[in-house]
Amino acid sequence: MKRSLVNRSVAIAMVLLSVLLASSLAALAQQNKNTANKGLPMRELIKLPGKLVSEAKTAQQSGELKLTGYRVEEVQLPRNIRAEVRGQQVVVDRAWRVTITGGPFPVRAMPAVIWIDDQIVGYGVENETLTQITAITLDNSLLREGGVISLSYGENKEARVQLPQRIQLKREGENQ
Amino acid sequence: MKRTSKTYFFIVAITLFVSAAAQTAFAQVADPGAPGPLAVTREEYNFGDTAFTPGDFPGPVELHASIHYPTNLAGGPFPVIVFLHGRHATCFRGGTALLQWPCTSNNSQPIPSFQGYDYVAEVLASHGYVVVSISANGINALDNLVFDLGAEARAELIQKHLDILKTFDTTGGAPFGNKFVGKFDLTRVGTMGHSRGGEGVVRHQGLNNQLGAPYGIKAVFPLAPVDFNRFVVNNAALNVLLPYCDGDVNDLQGVHFYDDARYNVPGDQSPKHYELVMGANHNFYNTVWSPSSPFPGSANDWTAFVPGGRSDSHCGAGKESQRLTEAQQRGTGIAYMTAFFRAYVGGETQFLPLLTGDAPPPASAQTNNLFVSYHAPDNPELRLDVNRLLDNTNLTVNRLGGAATQTALTPYELCGGDDPQAPRCLPDQPDTRQPHTTPSARSPLRGLSQLNTGWNNLTGDYKNDIPITASDVAGFQALQFRVAVNFADVRNLAGLAQNFRVVLTDSSGSTASLRVSDVSSALFFPPGSVGPVPKIVLNTVRIPLSAFGGVNLHDVRSVEFTFNEQAQGAVLVTDIAFASAPR
Repeated sequence: MKRSLVNRSVAIAMVLLSVLLASSLAALAQQNKNTANKGLPMRELIKLPGKLVSEAKTAQQSGELKLTGYRVEEVQLPRNIRAEVRGQQVVVDRAWRVTITGGPFPVRAMPAVIWIDDQIVGYGVENETLTQITAITLDNSLLREGGVISLSYGENKEARVQLPQRIQLKREGENQ
Repeated sequence: MKRTSKTYFFIVAITLFVSAAAQTAFAQVADPGAPGPLAVTREEYNFGDTAFTPGDFPGPVELHASIHYPTNLAGGPFPVIVFLHGRHATCFRGGTALLQWPCTSNNSQPIPSFQGYDYVAEVLASHGYVVVSISANGINALDNLVFDLGAEARAELIQKHLDILKTFDTTGGAPFGNKFVGKFDLTRVGTMGHSRGGEGVVRHQGLNNQLGAPYGIKAVFPLAPVDFNRFVVNNAALNVLLPYCDGDVNDLQGVHFYDDARYNVPGDQSPKHYELVMGANHNFYNTVWSPSSPFPGSANDWTAFVPGGRSDSHCGAGKESQRLTEAQQRGTGIAYMTAFFRAYVGGETQFLPLLTGDAPPPASAQTNNLFVSYHAPDNPELRLDVNRLLDNTNLTVNRLGGAATQTALTPYELCGGDDPQAPRCLPDQPDTRQPHTTPSARSPLRGLSQLNTGWNNLTGDYKNDIPITASDVAGFQALQFRVAVNFADVRNLAGLAQNFRVVLTDSSGSTASLRVSDVSSALFFPPGSVGPVPKIVLNTVRIPLSAFGGVNLHDVRSVEFTFNEQAQGAVLVTDIAFASAPR
């Protein structure tokens, strides 16, 4: 009797875990629509000082968009923000700014979208000289060692342009 | 041999006769895009680069616009048309484009995107319209910083300019003094927005209504628009222009404006239209964004933005390409913007056949290679829906309560709409090739529900029965539906048009049938092979009821598609209806 109760509990837990996992993945797919861009002062986030987490650049231009490198910065938020990350409501105090360099980038109707691997970091904002595009995420799990950064216009996976450099995260204590 | 010749000529004669009968309702109409009789004056007003800050927008923007108007204002007040350009570089220095506002870099100057539609404004003004084209560089410089990507700010900017025009019209004001007092009819306003401006004019129609409808927005024309947020125009005429070779908004997401508006508001008395313009791109509709422009940032967007795009057989740059030149493409803009605004803002109803597809493109369009779609107002005298194909019920029972049945069709299912339908009709194709179901950047809404079907032999049949209570269709002009050839289904041979028959049957069992190809070329195989093409855009087939001879139109009992013209094939279908042009 006791054993069957345990088995039932395990079964229920497994089902709940599966549901939770499925909903997390679904939420993850939507994360760009729910995180950094909505209800946050993007203009402020773009300009806040950041701590360099990863960077690569080269003089050699890559692809039609003439990509030359990337920069990832950690940004301490001026105040805590409640936001949805991976489908969960959480309070965050930091954001991550991913900037692709190259161009000059065209100013298009379709927004630039920055990706790491198959996940969207966010919709990009061009700088004034059109040599950088920056997106912001509150989800640092996207920043994976060896991750591939790419750029598209619209969420069009097939048309992504990849940076030749992969993400190399700096370890604590390294010069920045 | 002689007998064969006679038979041949007999067949040709019959074919021509049937074809002519089908075309009888396709009247020739005057060209709305031909220059009118009135002399035109162009001026600008400019209240400064930072004169207005839209709510919740991160910076100030300019209040700067051009006005085209009949030089002799004695005939006023004139209806007002407002143009809003889309997203583009805002400033330039030498040969370098910049994205800032105001233009603060050393010697940088604004890129005058708002001047890019002067070619249309000139024509409209020569027919007695006041055309105001708004500069929106300040919004372009910052709109990616706001969640809706600038739609609300653009709507507010339009409303602000209408307020300015109201001042010119009532009390007058600098820089025009009293010149325009009593000359603007702000109860008759049309709006055209290009690209992100297209979503701007759609949002503006809603904003104006929220503010108590101080201005009479009669007609809204999104041109190659984005639709990030899925705003909907209802109770105002809508016309979306979709360039097949759009290299920027390459998923033609603006078709959602039409799809979403169709059945959204019961009793909506406004017509909805779109034109799919083959060979047209995004930028050539704005002269300042086109390669012939002296300003940096201009481009042929297809070749500039679509990797490998130059090699595409339809949209590319080769000898076989079907691309329109800048002038040809602007011709389509002139033809359909003037037809639309003159019909629905100016009440010049003689142009309606161009917008329903009952008349071929006028000479000003400079091409016949375009497809007009039309959704009639929700008025029982103008539209009788046979089958909206919105949910699975419609696979067996149509809108009229009659049976919907099929024979030898596979698949026979709906796709593209809400759950449980598959979100995409062509699951293995990219979204850019499926505009009706392409996802929206800022909305979770799904796309157009369509019947996905096909046939493997000549017995395929799709039939909608019509109950006796709805069987008198004699008062309608046409039977119509939207359809596209499914290029991803191997039963359609690449490059070859499809065909099937449309059959009406009356209560006595008399039938009349027509091949779709007798009245329309909508069953073309979508051209192209690079990136966003080929693509599925459903086009309206509109068959005049006068072409169905021998059937009692007062007692029609079924509408049938018989797939016996080609041995096999696959199509996507929706919106089967009897319909008439607006009155």
